[in-house]
Order: sequence, then C-alpha cells, then structure tokens
Amino acid sequence: MNSTVGPPAIELHGVTKHYKGGGGVDELTLRVERGEIFGYLGPNGAGKSTTIRMLVDLIRPDVGTISVLGLDARRDSIEVHRRIGYLPGELTLYERLSAREILGHFAHLRGLDAEAYESLAGRLHLQLDRVVRELSKGNRQKVGLIQALMGDPELLILDEPTSGLDPLIQHEVHDELRRAASEGRTVLLSSHVLSEVAEIADRVGIIREGRLIAVEQVDEFRQRAIHLVDATFASPPTPEVRGALEAAGGTFETSHKVHLEIPSERLSELVKVLSGAEVVDLWVREPALQELFLSLYEHGEA
Amino acid sequence: MVHRHRTRSIGSVFDRSVREELRAMAGWTFGLAVYAFAMGAVFTSIHTNPLFDQIAKNYPEALKSLFQMSDYTTGVGYMRVEVVAVIAPLLVITFSILWGGDLLAGEEDRGTLDLLLANPVSRSRVFLEKFAALALGMFAAAGGLVLGLVVGSPLFDLKLGTSACLATGVSIALLALLFGTLALALGAATGSRGIARGLTVLVVVVAYLVSGLADLVTWLKQVRPFSPWYHAMAIDPLGTGWHLWHLVALLGVTVVIAAVGALAFERRDLST
Repeated sequence: MNSTVGPPAIELHGVTKHYKGGGGVDELTLRVERGEIFGYLGPNGAGKSTTIRMLVDLIRPDVGTISVLGLDARRDSIEVHRRIGYLPGELTLYERLSAREILGHFAHLRGLDAEAYESLAGRLHLQLDRVVRELSKGNRQKVGLIQALMGDPELLILDEPTSGLDPLIQHEVHDELRRAASEGRTVLLSSHVLSEVAEIADRVGIIREGRLIAVEQVDEFRQRAIHLVDATFASPPTPEVRGALEAAGGTFETSHKVHLEIPSERLSELVKVLSGAEVVDLWVREPALQELFLSLYEHGEA
Repeated sequence: MVHRHRTRSIGSVFDRSVREELRAMAGWTFGLAVYAFAMGAVFTSIHTNPLFDQIAKNYPEALKSLFQMSDYTTGVGYMRVEVVAVIAPLLVITFSILWGGDLLAGEEDRGTLDLLLANPVSRSRVFLEKFAALALGMFAAAGGLVLGLVVGSPLFDLKLGTSACLATGVSIALLALLFGTLALALGAATGSRGIARGLTVLVVVVAYLVSGLADLVTWLKQVRPFSPWYHAMAIDPLGTGWHLWHLVALLGVTVVIAAVGALAFERRDLST
C-alpha cells in the first residue's frame, strides 16, 4: 500500500440514508486511504450501491458527511467528478451509439482527447466502432470500465465491476486496477462475491443490512481460510508419509484415516505427500471465504 | 452482424441529444411541410365553391371559436382553420411533449443518467443543454411548417404574407417549446416520463379550451392571458403578423419553467 498523500481518498462519517420502501445505510463511518484497493462487500441490497451513489452525488445522505479526495461530495461535486472514475452497478449505455461515440462524448465532458480511451480499448481488446446494441455484456462492461479508467483518475469507484464477466476479462480488469493502485491511485470496488474482491483488494469492508459490520485486511483474513481434508488409505501409510502428515497438523482417527485443517496455500504440498500412499477416499472441503465471512459475522456487529 | 458505424464525434450533451433525435426531428419537419403544402393544394377547389362559405357560416359558434373560423374562403382564413390555428400547433406540441418528457426522465428510466452525471458537468448544465436541443427541435419542426406555407402560397394562390408565415412559425415553435419545457421540467423533477407527459397533455388541453372558448364565455376572458395558446395563436399571427410582446411572454414563462425544473433536478435523488 502506498503512503497517504493529502486527505484520505474517501471519508464517510455518520452517514445515514433511508428509503421510503426500506433499505439504505445506517450511521456509516468509513475511511479509504490513498493508494489502496478497497473491497466493499455485502449481499445484494445491503447498501453497497447506496453508499457508492452518495459518493458520486447521485443521491444525498439524510445525515452525515461525505468527503471524497478531501472535497465535499455534494458541494464540490463537479471537482470531485473531474478527479474520479465511476462505473455504476447496473451499467446502461446509449444503445444507438457506437463505443467510440460514447467514449468520445464522455472524454469531451472530461476535457480528454481520444487517446485517453483508445489505448485502454487496445489493452482490453474492445472494438470501438461497433454500436452498443450489437455488443455482448462483456464488451459493454468494457466500455463502462474504459470510461471510468480513462484519464487516469485519482480515485476509481467501481460498483460490481466484474459481475457477469468471464474470468479472462475479469483478469484483464484486475490487471488494470492493480496498475492504477501501483501508480498511487485509489480503487474502491464493490461485490457480493468475496472471492472476486479478495483476489485484488488490500482491505475489505463488509456491509449487511445497511451497517458496516467489519473492515479486514485481506491478507490476515486469507490466513484463516482453511480447508478441511479427510483422507482414507487402503493400508496404513509408511512412517515417512504419516510423519509428514502429522507435521502438517494431521490427526489420525484410525491408522487408515487422517484429518487435516490446512490453509489453502499448502494444499498442493499436501497432495504431494498423499501421493506417497494408496488413497482410497479423499475429501477436501473448502469453507468458501464467503461462508467463513458469514459465519464470522452472522450475528450482526462484530 | 458486424457493421461499421461511420461517425462524426459527439461532444456535448446537446450534441448527443440532438443526434439521438435527429431522425424523429427530420420526420416531424418534413411531415409538417408536407401537411401545410397539401392542405394549401386543397384550397384551390374550395375558394371557387361558394357552398363552403355557406357551410362554414352555419357552424356552431363554439366550434368557430375553437377553430378560429371566420373567413373560410380566403387563403388566410382557410389555412388558419385547417392548418395553423389548431392542427399544426398540436402536432408540434405532440413532438415537444414526447421528446421533452423523454430528454431527462427517459435517460433516468433507461439508466444512462447515472453515468452521465458522474462526469464533471452540473445537473443544471445538463438540463440547459437538453432544453437547447428541444428548442432546436421545435424551431426545426415549425420551420418545416413555414416552408410548406411559403412554398404553397403562390402556387395555390393563398396570398399569405411571408412575414406572417414566419411569425406563425415562431409562435408555434415558442408555444410548443413552452409545453415541451414543462414536460422536460416535470420529467427532471419526478424522473417519470408518464407524469411528465400526462400532466403536460392535461395543461395543453385546459389551456387550449380557455383560449378557444374565451370569446363565448365571459369569465374565461379574464383567465385567457394565462393560456399560452392565447399568446401564440389567438392573436392570429397568420392574419396579423408579429406580436412581439406576446412572444416575449411565451418565452418568459418558458424560462421560468426551465429554471424551476433545473432547480428541482439539482435537489433531487436520482432513481436507480
């Protein structure tokens, strides 16, 4: 993570926003530092988009203060918009225009020239001259991402940027975001799928029913993501294998059967050890990070 | 199917709004020109037939008042009834309500507004550019009408004054712009195309009845100055030419509606 330069990228203080039909966020206080990739995680309808749309001044909080790059999200909205890139959660583009026309339009509004989006379109393999109507979901999302990324804004606010994208494109997008962060720019991205966020974020904030219930360092959290392994052997394994398994924290229930709880990064090592014995049954259960999160934070505030 | 889309680049919000509506705008403009021209062509068979004057004289007073029917056998009188007083303004107003109601509320409804307003451009600015696009559309459509009148007049011996035709075009454009701006403002304030268009249609109809029946109903005469129809059409621009202050009144009200709409738009939460 980069050092902090100037005011934090995002600072929410006591922000509450309620809707007539229910939903919204409650007393949200959150700080995102410059240069970090912050994952904003929660189930659909938890308040992620509400938070993000307040940052971009599309909706306004009932109470609380929101500052973005040290500026007031509402009063200084135009200056804020000049310095951020935004991708809405439900991206809709002008169907009858080409990607080039749309990006040219937004570039004009931002005072950028065509180069700002042409290089990105090249990296993301987007054909600019096709009409949006003819574009696949993935390509539409690329248009949305390019308009957010162009001009290298100081802060990227991306609402579910990779939802519905195939893994290949997801990977390309993550590369772009890492590049941004490595240049000291800040990324806030939301998702309802933890693995998507955990792969790239430095920190993760979890929101449920409008309340921020935890903010975690991903690295610390990842270490807790253990796998449960049960192996059954045709015959008791050799002392070397048994020794190696016990060294890895395995407990033998019988001489034929071992149980282990190991972090994911040691799985391949385990497979090598197991290959030294005749395995007749193997169970690997991964408590999905998602489940782990939910079990940790099942009962509201931590 | 992959087809290349050859394009001129799009700059401002005004630019894009016009571009998106270009075909419709051309259609309305052409349609109005053809309509005015065709109705002029029919006149040749009417003014030679005294029967029509007789029929026109026997019309109920209410209808005569609503359609501004007086001298059906002159070119001006005939075109006023058949084209200028009601039908042509209603056509341009229809265009203005359809488009005005969609310019902001439609973008919001389709979901493109979030992305647009995340750019460094104020909501008022976006409103203003949408308004400018609408104004261009109204003057284009009314321009089509003027063209049809001016070209048809010598051909069909309508004896319309060119200046009066222009005054008529400007009156209709400003009348439609006023109602279109109302639809734009209501759409901006509520985010609903239905409310924007529905309420505006209601206002158009009530204002029309007030202006059209004021000659027959005494108390309506007092409220008539509040009807935009009065300032645009009841003053008979085709027969009497320019009435600057009435046009200024139309424009003034339009500016007020636009200002209120922009303000409401600034202050509102956008729907997802």
